[in-house]
Amino acid sequence: MASNYVNLNVNPCKMCMPMGAMTAFYGIRGCVSILHGSQGCSTYIRRHMATHYNEPVDIASSSLTEQGTVFGGESNLIKGLENLIKLYNPEVIGVATTCLAETIGEDINGIIKKFLALHPDAKAKIIPVSSAGYGGTQYEGFFKALKAIVSNIEMSPEKNDMINIIVPLISPADTRHIKDICKKMGLNCIILPDISENLDGGYEKNYSKLPRGGTSIEEIAKMGGARYTLELSAFVPEENSPAKYLKEAYGVPYERLDLPVGLEFTDAFIEKLVSLGGEMTDEIKDMRKRYLDAMIDSHKYNAECRAVVFGEPDFASSVVKLCCENGALPVVAATGSVCKEFREKLGSYIKPVAEIAMEENFAVLDDIDFEKIENLALELKANLMIGSSDGRKISERHGIELIRCAFPVHDRVGGQRTRILCYEGSLELMDKIANSILARKEENFRHEAYEKYFDKKAGKEVENQKMDLKTENLQKTLTHPCYTCSAGKYARIHLPVAPKCNIQCNYCVRKYDCPNESRPGVTTEILSPREAFEKYALIKEKMDNLKVVGIAGPGDALANFEQTKETLKLIKEYDKEVTFCLSTNGLMLPMHAKELIDLGVSHVTVTMNAVDPKIGAKIYKHIDYMGVRYEGETGAAILLANQIAGLKYLTSNGAICKVNIVMLKGINDGHIEEVVKTAKELGCEITNIMQLIPVKGSAFEELPLVSNKELMEIRKKCEVHMKQMHHCRQCRADAIGTLDNDVSIQYRSMLNDDISKAKTLKKKFAVASKSGMLVDQHFGHADEFYIYESDGENARFVEKRAVRKYCSGADDCGESAEKMDLILKAVGDCDAVIALRMGDSPMRKLKEKGIEIYITYDSIEHAVKNAVESAIKL
Amino acid sequence: MQGAKILDERKDFIMFKDSCCGDGKINCEKESVSGAVSQRACVYCGARVVLNPITDAFHIVHGPIGCASYTWDIRGSLSSGSELYRNSFSTDLREEDIIFGGAKKLAAAIDEIVEKNSPKLIFVYATCIVGVIGDDVEAVCRKAEEKYKIRVIPVKAPGFSGTKSLGYKLACDAIMELILPHKDIPKTGGINIIGDFNLAGEMWIIKNYLNAIGLNTVSTITGDANYESLIKAPSAGLNIVQCAGSSVYLAKRMEEEMGIPFIKVSFFGIEDTTNSILRIAHAIGDENAIKRAEEFTKERSARAKEFISKYKPKLEGKKAAIYVGGGFKAISLIRQFNEMGIKTVMVGTQTGKKDEYEIIAKIVEKDTVVLDDANPSELEAFMKEKGADILVGGVKERPLAYKLGIAFCDHNHERKHALAGYEGVENFTKEVNLSLNSPVWGYVKG
Repeated sequence: MASNYVNLNVNPCKMCMPMGAMTAFYGIRGCVSILHGSQGCSTYIRRHMATHYNEPVDIASSSLTEQGTVFGGESNLIKGLENLIKLYNPEVIGVATTCLAETIGEDINGIIKKFLALHPDAKAKIIPVSSAGYGGTQYEGFFKALKAIVSNIEMSPEKNDMINIIVPLISPADTRHIKDICKKMGLNCIILPDISENLDGGYEKNYSKLPRGGTSIEEIAKMGGARYTLELSAFVPEENSPAKYLKEAYGVPYERLDLPVGLEFTDAFIEKLVSLGGEMTDEIKDMRKRYLDAMIDSHKYNAECRAVVFGEPDFASSVVKLCCENGALPVVAATGSVCKEFREKLGSYIKPVAEIAMEENFAVLDDIDFEKIENLALELKANLMIGSSDGRKISERHGIELIRCAFPVHDRVGGQRTRILCYEGSLELMDKIANSILARKEENFRHEAYEKYFDKKAGKEVENQKMDLKTENLQKTLTHPCYTCSAGKYARIHLPVAPKCNIQCNYCVRKYDCPNESRPGVTTEILSPREAFEKYALIKEKMDNLKVVGIAGPGDALANFEQTKETLKLIKEYDKEVTFCLSTNGLMLPMHAKELIDLGVSHVTVTMNAVDPKIGAKIYKHIDYMGVRYEGETGAAILLANQIAGLKYLTSNGAICKVNIVMLKGINDGHIEEVVKTAKELGCEITNIMQLIPVKGSAFEELPLVSNKELMEIRKKCEVHMKQMHHCRQCRADAIGTLDNDVSIQYRSMLNDDISKAKTLKKKFAVASKSGMLVDQHFGHADEFYIYESDGENARFVEKRAVRKYCSGADDCGESAEKMDLILKAVGDCDAVIALRMGDSPMRKLKEKGIEIYITYDSIEHAVKNAVESAIKL
Repeated sequence: MQGAKILDERKDFIMFKDSCCGDGKINCEKESVSGAVSQRACVYCGARVVLNPITDAFHIVHGPIGCASYTWDIRGSLSSGSELYRNSFSTDLREEDIIFGGAKKLAAAIDEIVEKNSPKLIFVYATCIVGVIGDDVEAVCRKAEEKYKIRVIPVKAPGFSGTKSLGYKLACDAIMELILPHKDIPKTGGINIIGDFNLAGEMWIIKNYLNAIGLNTVSTITGDANYESLIKAPSAGLNIVQCAGSSVYLAKRMEEEMGIPFIKVSFFGIEDTTNSILRIAHAIGDENAIKRAEEFTKERSARAKEFISKYKPKLEGKKAAIYVGGGFKAISLIRQFNEMGIKTVMVGTQTGKKDEYEIIAKIVEKDTVVLDDANPSELEAFMKEKGADILVGGVKERPLAYKLGIAFCDHNHERKHALAGYEGVENFTKEVNLSLNSPVWGYVKG
């Protein structure tokens, strides 16, 4: 366990006594309270309560000052009471002390007496409570206030028909529920305290700052004459127990019950009410049935719950009980109060359910803080917290959901309406538990299973392969004369197999066919893939240093993809070492990029003259894409998008890419740097900025020439972004580079792996199986046989034989009459047959052939082994 | 049987195993009895279940919205990549489409998808009314394929045209249509995992096993599959078929038309898992793989057996009822329950075959009820009569079990934890224990 402070409370799991006292007084009709202490106490408590209940909470303070502290707070308190009466004219005033008042030894009884002497006509009943903050938690403060209430209000001595129900700090909605149940059962009950209205009031036009709901003094006065007291608290110390007081002072019999949360505790409560004359109505029976039904519906989800339950002893204990009844395991049960019985009692609830879950470890602790709870929650792998919103830090930090169903709830609405009591409240809480588990499951199960079972390394291998390909391709670059300046000794061949083009550049005319002209797009002949291959093979034989095969038109390599593909395939089969290079305008690149990689194209050049469709529109007259001709910016935009998508795919899959840019004065010369930057971002290796070669008849025929100086300048400028090509010769589409250099030929030696295996004597079995796992088919029905071999020790699967394969001709494969012949053929070479059942005739035939027969129902492997041992031989 | 309301025409679909006769005479492979509240689904459902795990495909349901709504992301197939398949796409046909035809709408829907995405693969499921209103779905798909150079594959699966099994077959045909053009790609000798839908990561578990014994998986059909992985399927050297009911037809076609041999496997239960792993290694014939498979299965099955033996005292003597889709799963569950010491007292299937019922009759004990295409009243009557403690079935049967105070285990597509492989053995055992032994039952029965 991680370290916990011994002398320090880290993140308190409790509040102070005045808080409890103030809440209790809020359940008294016409009551306003005053805290005898410094102003802060009241303010903090008000704030705390107001955010939880979403109701105005008025608590006065005697506002002890330094003077009052030194000389006594008597005058402060008297003044406070006077003002309180003026403001509220309450019927009851609760006066609770605080740490300060108790510490300075204030005698509030004496002060109250003095006040009454000063104000003999004061109507309000003043009830003092000694509630030093340090004296306990809000839990004790609450009951101390109740005890003060019953012991300060004068009781009517005559016996009555009432039943007192003392409740701990429960929500207004739960209080209503208890009242409602009593009413339904026809019992006259006095609930103390009754916060149902005062801390969860409805909207009214005329707001009354004086609490108009709650237990009235008249009702409280009857408590001494009541016939019974039920105290719904298992842990309140006897000295603070109102029930015990009523018994001692007025002889009212009582029983203390667990807070009715969950099935058993609610049953006990209802049974008690029945024993006190309450009627077991159908409505209550139905509530119980519904709860039981819900328990069943959710038990599977609840079974996965590992809860941390924290809060006041009665709350935590009863919620733990509910969890246990539903198979949810409370791995941590904690209360911030000091409560020995809590520890003893809760262990006995949790043990049985821990046993079912095969879990030995759980923790029940009192007097605890959230740091400890946090450590335990992590250690015991909690997946849910149930308590107040004070647990939210742990929840947020560790992603453990928190069900907020106890005071205080600060970060959600509805704290006042949260129900956990009796069948209906239990059902609501249990739904939340189950839903939390479900939500977690729904959110995480995909991811969890992915993390658990999906082999991510397999993906990495692919990634590595891509990287390997890139390394390999970079290696090829070293012998590629276009990509590497110093590779001039190696030769390349351009195969003109791609006549069509799918875009019209304004600088290009391809109708000329002059062998003396050298520029891209020019060729003397178009070759078919087969011719291209033959040409390559011929030249390769004479030219060992021929390293690179390029497809560079004369149109666009990808506009003639079938030809390009076929050519590359043929050459690849002939020469595995060849470097494939291809140049394209990029329009069809996204469609074919993957195939290019698969074909082994390592180098791709894309001519990309602009990365802005506006500029592109000036360069490209039109594009032909997917059967439609696009002009202007639309065309340029499509072209650009495809160039980018294609290049991105190629570079991320290991291809080495070059971008060619034709420098066009007044059109893209100011834009070239942008193009280079884009090429860089796309992962290209090099850009090649080229001069325009003006062609007669082209749209750019008259465009001014770019000087060598200008070209060098722009290349220099772009060199900072990426590597520039300086040695381009702007080749023809059928160029063959011939530079003399010897390359040693590598021969791959083939290893003959002639490992002869010793043949052991094995038996061959034919198994009739439909499922493929079991011997589960009639011999005569089998369409296929699982052939096994066994040497007596292991059964080994050899093959699966389809019966129809033993059909030698149409005559042979007629209706079922002939099927048996096929089957017999199929198993003819086996030593034995294993089937679920077999007819007499085939049995005879097999026996004639000397084939053994085993009839069984079993798993295939087991049946074969058994057959070998001849255990079930017919 | 006292008090159980059995329709007269249903009586032949119910069989009682008695001591002398294990002949397994039961009526099955028939249409459901009208008005009997069958638990079965439809053709479209069958097709959708098989194809839906293809993660990067657009699955367009062509028809009124209902079919799409009820099948939207309700299956537990997991993806390691695209999450596209978890969306629902439907042409949502309205009254005017029914009058004037929905083909135009479908074509427009495909246009939109292509425009907004770069799909490689679209499936178009034609549901009940599509054929009736005369939409030529095949023509629409064919045109779209030509126009966009992508695969748009129609799955004509009107619900009324047969049982769920027919839907499986249609799905297999759709897959063949997708992969056939690639049938001549070079062979790599790896394995295709067929008929596992990666529910809760089960396909990943199987793939891990293959990996552990040094064998390479080529394609998975259809769990965690995508377009690129599927079209590689023809390069495999062996197909292994996990869910034979849905996918053996595909394996047979691949064997006949592509020459890829197949073997059936099962990864439910310790014995099947072990035998399947060994069988695969044998089929590939790689000595190293065989050796590794032997070591691997020895170690893992011992661990799983030990796990079950820990739980056995909590489970022994309990009684199970089974109601699942196919016969082979029922058989496999009976055997798994046997491993746990649990006796099966009722077993039924939606679409079991005659020979499967015969096996069932062979392996269950005397007095066990066997049902084909049962309805809720029969399930109720027999679970009560036989005193079942737990029902294994689909979610449809769950509330009934709970109403009867019976534990439950989901063995259907919505399961959130893996039930396949050695991992699945542990998960299944745990689940059975937690439901069977929940304290809740104490309160219900008390």
